[in-house]
Amino acid sequence: MPKDVIPVVVSADPGTYEDAHVHAIYDDIADHFSSTRYKPWPIIAEFLSEIPTGWMGLDAGTGNGKYLSLPPHPPGKIWSIGLDRSINLLRLARSAGGVTREVVLGNVLDYCWRKGCFDFAISIATIHHLTTSERRRVAVQRLLEAVSPNHGRVLIYVWAIEQDGLSKRSIPTNGECSTSGQDVLVPWVSSDREQNATNAHNGVARVYNRYYHMFAKGELIDLVKGAALASGLELGPQPGGETGARGVEIVREGWERSNYYIELRLWQVR
Amino acid sequence: MVRLITHNLLACHARGCTSNNFPLRFSDAQIETRKADFNADFIRAFMPKLEWSALVDAAKQLGDTSLPLEAPDMLDEEFLKNLHRVLLEIHIEEGSMTCPNCNHRYPISNGIPNMLLAEDEIA
Repeated sequence: MPKDVIPVVVSADPGTYEDAHVHAIYDDIADHFSSTRYKPWPIIAEFLSEIPTGWMGLDAGTGNGKYLSLPPHPPGKIWSIGLDRSINLLRLARSAGGVTREVVLGNVLDYCWRKGCFDFAISIATIHHLTTSERRRVAVQRLLEAVSPNHGRVLIYVWAIEQDGLSKRSIPTNGECSTSGQDVLVPWVSSDREQNATNAHNGVARVYNRYYHMFAKGELIDLVKGAALASGLELGPQPGGETGARGVEIVREGWERSNYYIELRLWQVR
Repeated sequence: MVRLITHNLLACHARGCTSNNFPLRFSDAQIETRKADFNADFIRAFMPKLEWSALVDAAKQLGDTSLPLEAPDMLDEEFLKNLHRVLLEIHIEEGSMTCPNCNHRYPISNGIPNMLLAEDEIA
């Protein structure tokens, strides 16, 4: 079973490429994929447990919706709406945790909401499926637009070149990827159980090559800086005076289990 | 799922459609009601963020006229429970939502709204 990732150069139209190498694959592997994605990452669970009662969130790239049910107690303390491009993942997400959830079929590059209507937004393991740095920047801008300019909180996770010891993958390294990241295809091997269920390919495991952009150290912070600039937001903590100023502060950022994360807070001087 | 809590946030995003693009209007809605956990603290804290008249109007389109035209100042238990019911217990399973400005139609199938646009419709 191949576990190594395959370096790739994307020259096709980005939207068409993402349809073939991300969206269509998740629609095909949804059930099997979902059965391997049930454990919430600690920093995300902690972020969600600190959200005040009555807040509404957007989970951009919700997948099987595993974060829609957090925090589990008390029930209905906050709500999150799950957005995803894969209808088959949404069919699983809409009953995540055994409760009916709110899910919407859409693209994280589009913006189908009232401006700033959410109190918080998370985007976990999603933005790394976009094939150009411009598209990744737009996706971050959409998150900044989605949340309240006064108090919005945002948490983003993306896959890192820097992998931890538990990871089964071996990562090709070349000199250039140290600052700009590395485009790769990651094989997903469909399970035997799934093969039997669909009776396809006569026991030959089918391999799906999903596209990922593996982030270099510092690249996620640069991406957020670019998105803030493009959205007319200052980057840094809220200053004293100057009414009308709007900005976004990096609350924390780091690396956890082969991923980079960044937590943001928006502010506005009124 | 589309419940009114989500409908109150959705806006049309077709190319060039940037004003009067909210709220979307329901057509051919098939609804189901299902109980949801009532959390009075959530409803009380969330309520100021609602576009109230959009909610009243959307509920009316689904045949529910229980909400007052103006949001009340005094929020008693009975009111909160009813608001909870309208926001979280009415599920639009099938139908569509149409933009009041450009008439773009977003289908709802098996409770999931499709907000995707074709390449040439994207803003």
